[in-house]
Amino acid sequence: MACNMRTDLLISQICPTSGHVSVKRRIGNASVVRAVVVDHNSLVKNIIGSTSSLMMRRPTLPNPQLVEETDNERKGCNGKFGRFGGKFVPETLISCLSNLEAEFNLVLHDAQFQAELATALRDYVGRETPLYFAERLTNHYKKNNNGEGPEIYLKREDLNHGGAHKINNAIAQAMIAKRLGRKSIVAATGAGQHGVATAAACAKLSLQCTIFMGTKDMEKQSSNLVLMKLLGAEVKSVDGNFKEATSEAFREWVGNLESSYYLTGTVVGPHPCPSMVREFQSVIGKETRRQAMDKWGGKPDVLVACVGSGSNALGLFHEFIKEKDVRLIGVEAGGFGLESDKHSATLAKGDVGVYHGTMSYLLQDEEGQIIRPHSVGVGLEYPAVGPELSFLKDTGRAEYYSVTDKEALNACQMLCRLEGIIPSLEASHALAFLNKLCPTLPTGTKVVVNCSGRGDKDAEMILNHKYYPMEKQFPASQNS
Amino acid sequence: MAISTNHVASLSKPCISSFTTLKVLSKPNNYFHPGQSEFKRSSISCNVTSEASTLTINAKENDFKTLQRPNSVGRFGKFGGKYVPETLIPALTELEAAFHVIAVDQDFQKELEGILKDYVGRESPLYFAERLTEHYRRPNGEGPHIYLKREDLNHTGSHKINNAIGQVLLAKRLGKKRIIAETGAGQHGVATATVCARFGLECIVYMGAQDMERQALNVFRMKLLGAEVRGVHAGTATLKDATSEAIRDWVTNVDSTHYILGSVAGPHPYPMMVREFHAIIGKETRRQALEKWGGKPDVLVACVGGGSNAMGLFHEFVDDFDVRLIGVEAAGHGLDSNKHAATLTKGEVGVLHGAMSFLLQDDDGQIIEPHSISAGLDYPGVGPEHSFLKERGRAEYHSATDDEALEAFKRVSRLEGIIPALETSHALAYLEKLCPSLPDKAKVVVSCSGRGDKDVHTAIKYLQV
Repeated sequence: MACNMRTDLLISQICPTSGHVSVKRRIGNASVVRAVVVDHNSLVKNIIGSTSSLMMRRPTLPNPQLVEETDNERKGCNGKFGRFGGKFVPETLISCLSNLEAEFNLVLHDAQFQAELATALRDYVGRETPLYFAERLTNHYKKNNNGEGPEIYLKREDLNHGGAHKINNAIAQAMIAKRLGRKSIVAATGAGQHGVATAAACAKLSLQCTIFMGTKDMEKQSSNLVLMKLLGAEVKSVDGNFKEATSEAFREWVGNLESSYYLTGTVVGPHPCPSMVREFQSVIGKETRRQAMDKWGGKPDVLVACVGSGSNALGLFHEFIKEKDVRLIGVEAGGFGLESDKHSATLAKGDVGVYHGTMSYLLQDEEGQIIRPHSVGVGLEYPAVGPELSFLKDTGRAEYYSVTDKEALNACQMLCRLEGIIPSLEASHALAFLNKLCPTLPTGTKVVVNCSGRGDKDAEMILNHKYYPMEKQFPASQNS
Repeated sequence: MAISTNHVASLSKPCISSFTTLKVLSKPNNYFHPGQSEFKRSSISCNVTSEASTLTINAKENDFKTLQRPNSVGRFGKFGGKYVPETLIPALTELEAAFHVIAVDQDFQKELEGILKDYVGRESPLYFAERLTEHYRRPNGEGPHIYLKREDLNHTGSHKINNAIGQVLLAKRLGKKRIIAETGAGQHGVATATVCARFGLECIVYMGAQDMERQALNVFRMKLLGAEVRGVHAGTATLKDATSEAIRDWVTNVDSTHYILGSVAGPHPYPMMVREFHAIIGKETRRQALEKWGGKPDVLVACVGGGSNAMGLFHEFVDDFDVRLIGVEAAGHGLDSNKHAATLTKGEVGVLHGAMSFLLQDDDGQIIEPHSISAGLDYPGVGPEHSFLKERGRAEYHSATDDEALEAFKRVSRLEGIIPALETSHALAYLEKLCPSLPDKAKVVVSCSGRGDKDVHTAIKYLQV
């Protein structure tokens, strides 16, 4: 499949004055575009600072068809997942990323590192997290469907230290940063969970920590802001939300490449970031496989996870991608509805482009400008998505849907009242999709939902939200 | 409902026990080794005296081990008992009978184990706190090894859920549809609201109005979970007042309602029951210690409000006299101020909330209003078994001030990336005094009884973060 693009536009964006640019393009399954820019530091900063940097015109593609994937593409070798992924970064960062990739490959096979990581995950993070049979939730759906319906299990990433799945990756990458002799960590955070996880890991490993957070997010997740500070992190505010925070964090990192380490929290960014984060999150899926075998002697039939940029989803899915009898369902943030312009449903409504160093689906307008996303789940408010998830969409391996703010809030209350678990608003999106999914599934189907985080950070906001209290079916102090 | 007394005459019956005087050889490592010390035996009747300091802190190992804790009438030595209105006696008797049934019911135990594993997230890790250990390392390179028992990782964020789960299963067995609870910091309230949602029961939580303000996050959580939170404005509007109100409710609604008491206080069988449900903390610790270093802990440290997390950790090791047990209470503004909650250090024996125990009372037997920056330790009483362990010298009780606790809160957050609850921070604060005196490689296990997310606003206020 050829990937069309207007190379003249690309050249003028990268090198407005002059400069050498070479663009490689291949026609075929693996279409690679790599823009190489001769390094000019000021140019680098301008490029990263611009939100329309390195945008390509939307290629004129036929309707997405099932693309046959090679094993290498699926694994993301060379940073590519089909046509997605890559390393769209200035030259200054290329060698840094290559070093990181080399170190990553080393640690994958380093028994001592793996043992230390396993100990940290067990004793510090609190793994393995349970696979919990949600009996009342299961009965709720069966009751509404003449006694028919699937069995619902929750993978309890909310029980991790820090309260979300983010720590799995943060602790591993902080350990890599130490190995590389870096003294300080730079990171960006949306809902604050990645910020808290990074701050915690840095405290434990005695690393200096700087977290960038958008002012809008700081208002909505103020408790996480305080937690980061208590953990010793310096929190720098950036006008806007997660995408601006990411750009600023990148800028800070580029200015201090020798001494600092950019700790990415999710499966976006230039290679090897998506692969690294996926690898460290894949413990979720590996445990799920073993626990499913223990509990019912088989595999899950359906996996459901919320998708912001995609780290918790890939963490659960990755183990099962090769097994086509396991259905993979990602649930995005539908905000006020897909027809409004207030949502974050990148895979549903986005187009292919390059953002934050990687090619993937993203929410952009006709001129390639980023559309500001919205969701009540702050961690889902990101206008792009991990390249591997884009690939899973194009190949038809995963299905993607979306739910609105209201549906997510309702699902949050549902889990609180039926199971005594307060899910994060992000995780509530995955739970909300069960309303549409369960009536279609036969009895005996095993559904695993990734409960990616706890909702303590959202509690006050939910109680004060205009959509609270929700429908009458979950009143307080209900007898079952 | 508080009856405080310091007069022998008010006891219904005297208790007879034998004390031995034990001379402890002082050792540079401060270890307590009863087997190696001289002692002489004398037997006396026990009297309740008004001078806590006149009780000799001595024990003989064998006598201690053969004592039932509690005995059949709910006594730990002279402490404990059932000082309640007649209306509650049948409920307590029924509860005790049901508890003894489930204690040996394999199906119940299996169900409980499954819920603790898949719902609560047990077992909680025994975590080697490397940077904290390094912090206490002396210039010559020697120092103890500090381990944290991570009850903060449990579902809802503290040890409280262990007991809430056990009691709600009991309540269901008894056919109760309505659950009440008291709460100080809100953790027990959240745990109770959680289990009520999980098992479909009505839930009412009594919470002091002052505590509702300083632990607002937990109030939000209880409401989200569907509990009704009733603010109590009497007294200091803290834990003791909430407890009194809960007991009042229970007396009124005893047929329909089970009272999930949140600590090892209250009338028999609560101190025993709550201890048993938390005993898993110590059982896991024993197994984990054996795996990690092939031995037992040398010292166990836990904060003490009512005393549930401490009993949960200690109980497994109470008969192991080579394991030192240290409880840390809240010294508030200092033991010499009137603003503390150091019951076992400054209190006298009396009856509060249905049990005989140490409590903070004045010469007229009126409760002295306690104070601690941490809502969960802000209680003028203490579990009767702790009073017993103190009296027998089996456990030591110290205290930490508000400021020391805040310092520890900050220290552990910055060194280990774990934000402990302010309650837990009292136990962590005591390490400053303890560690310099411990021998090289002594194994110290601190109960990290809860996480500190609920305390961030207090922390900001005081630490100027």
